[in-house]
Amino acid sequence: MRGYAAGLAILVFVLPPDVARAQERPTVALRGDVAAVWLRQAMTPGVTALLRGPALAGEARVNYGPFWLGAGLLEGRLDDGAGQASRRDLVEGRLAVGARALPWLEVSLGPLLRAYVIDSGTERWVVWQGRARVDAPIIATSLTSHVELWRALSSRVTLPPLTAGRVQGGEAGVTYQPPRGPVWLRLAYRVDNALLGAGSETVEAVSFSVGFGR
Amino acid sequence: MTLLARGSVVVAVWLGLGGAAPRAAAAQTARDLVSQGVRAYRALEYDAAVALLRRSLTEGVVGTLSTAERAQALTYLGATELFRGRRDSATLAFGNVVLLDPRYRPDELIFPPQVTSLFQEVRQATKTVAVTVPPVTELRAKGDRFTARVFTSSLADVAVTLARDDGTPVRELYTGPVADSLAVTWDGFSAGGTPVSTGRYILRVAPRTEGAAGPPARQVALDIEQRASDTLPWPPAPTAPALLPERAPAGPAVRSLAAGFLAAVAAIALPSVVAHGSGGGSDARFAVGAAIGTAGVVGFIAQHPGRPLAANIRANAPQRDAWTQRLESVKAENATRRASLRLVIRAAPIATADRGGTSP
Repeated sequence: MRGYAAGLAILVFVLPPDVARAQERPTVALRGDVAAVWLRQAMTPGVTALLRGPALAGEARVNYGPFWLGAGLLEGRLDDGAGQASRRDLVEGRLAVGARALPWLEVSLGPLLRAYVIDSGTERWVVWQGRARVDAPIIATSLTSHVELWRALSSRVTLPPLTAGRVQGGEAGVTYQPPRGPVWLRLAYRVDNALLGAGSETVEAVSFSVGFGR
Repeated sequence: MTLLARGSVVVAVWLGLGGAAPRAAAAQTARDLVSQGVRAYRALEYDAAVALLRRSLTEGVVGTLSTAERAQALTYLGATELFRGRRDSATLAFGNVVLLDPRYRPDELIFPPQVTSLFQEVRQATKTVAVTVPPVTELRAKGDRFTARVFTSSLADVAVTLARDDGTPVRELYTGPVADSLAVTWDGFSAGGTPVSTGRYILRVAPRTEGAAGPPARQVALDIEQRASDTLPWPPAPTAPALLPERAPAGPAVRSLAAGFLAAVAAIALPSVVAHGSGGGSDARFAVGAAIGTAGVVGFIAQHPGRPLAANIRANAPQRDAWTQRLESVKAENATRRASLRLVIRAAPIATADRGGTSP
């Protein structure tokens, strides 16, 4: 719970009053992703399992002034290329509330639920994340780069020891928005890493996104 | 006139002539002598009047008579001589008046008809010219003129010319008859149409039939100074912040490059930062990093420093056009001012220049 409180404090106190007071009509933004995902699990020292596969994802976001509320879902199928035995489905859901604290800085907070479904069972993760994202325009508003970093405020996992250690990640990408029209395109690379006992689990993804609205 | 009054006048004349007190008489001014002569004339003491008036006109008397006072003294002298029966002397005196000031006329309320008639005869017979000029004339604008007034005692053919003081002709201002007076103007240009340079010039009014019996020429020296006209300063060119920048500064281009470069580095370095010790990341991140870096380079090229900013140029055009119009207006005004003449003409005293000689 201390993690949640810290995240909420960050979210509230980093907002300048004038940004927080801004009143606008709510707007909706949608995004669809095509991604290539890599999962690297090193549960036993010296043994690393690498799985990869495609994934589809989508996200909806409601913006209200500087604040937004978003929900996303990703589904993919990963395998090591050796056969059916290693195949697992990846399902990832995310809920977040965020705010644009500065024109170039966005902060958000919310849970991430991730599940790896295999025939013998399901590995579930619940991670509360605090995120900070920096946008840097390359060409005015049409071409923008961004770097986002996040860190878990708390985590729970169905694998022993049931609580992950450090869970953190980051994303870097570039977004192109044509001068006219609400559609935009994005190319991004992200990586999540969790320490789990003596082992670790790393998820990487390269995604190509088409968005509507910001 | 009482006997006592006549006696006092005689005594005064006697004193004035210096018979009894020469030192006191020497102290009398020419103006005093004229006044005493006029009083003697009015008292019908013509001999005394003649003596006093002649003395007033003599060189070396204390004080100097003005032209008007000399003309008055000569007129009284001529009238006195006329009443003394000396018509030739009267004619000579009146002739001197005419030579002195061709415009002078005896007051008909003061002098009887026989005096004014003789004066008129003498005036008609005496050919003379005179010229007056303003002490200082400044020609500032194109239409400004220097004006000299030429007077003649009777109809005369005259030539009004301007020459340098070394005799080089500059311009003939008038040639023709003058019945009484004539205003001769000069625009400051030579006969060739060029402005005269700084220097001393001679304005000469000469009868065209010059001879021994003809009237003497008159001339006046003119010190002419050519001054450059002040020009207007150019209006200051519009600059920032009134004008928007018309060339792209280096800042946005460098920021674009930096934004792309740093994000590319972040993409490549993320596994090392967030997943340190968990094995290397996929090679796909290099492709993403390259794409982001390329975007930065594209942004740098698209916003390269010094490129023309068309929108700003269009926005600045009205101000720039207005400035250009103001500048052209000032240039035109300055060209007009440079082309216009600005002369300062200072006149020296009038001099008589007769037969090659000059006397004030």
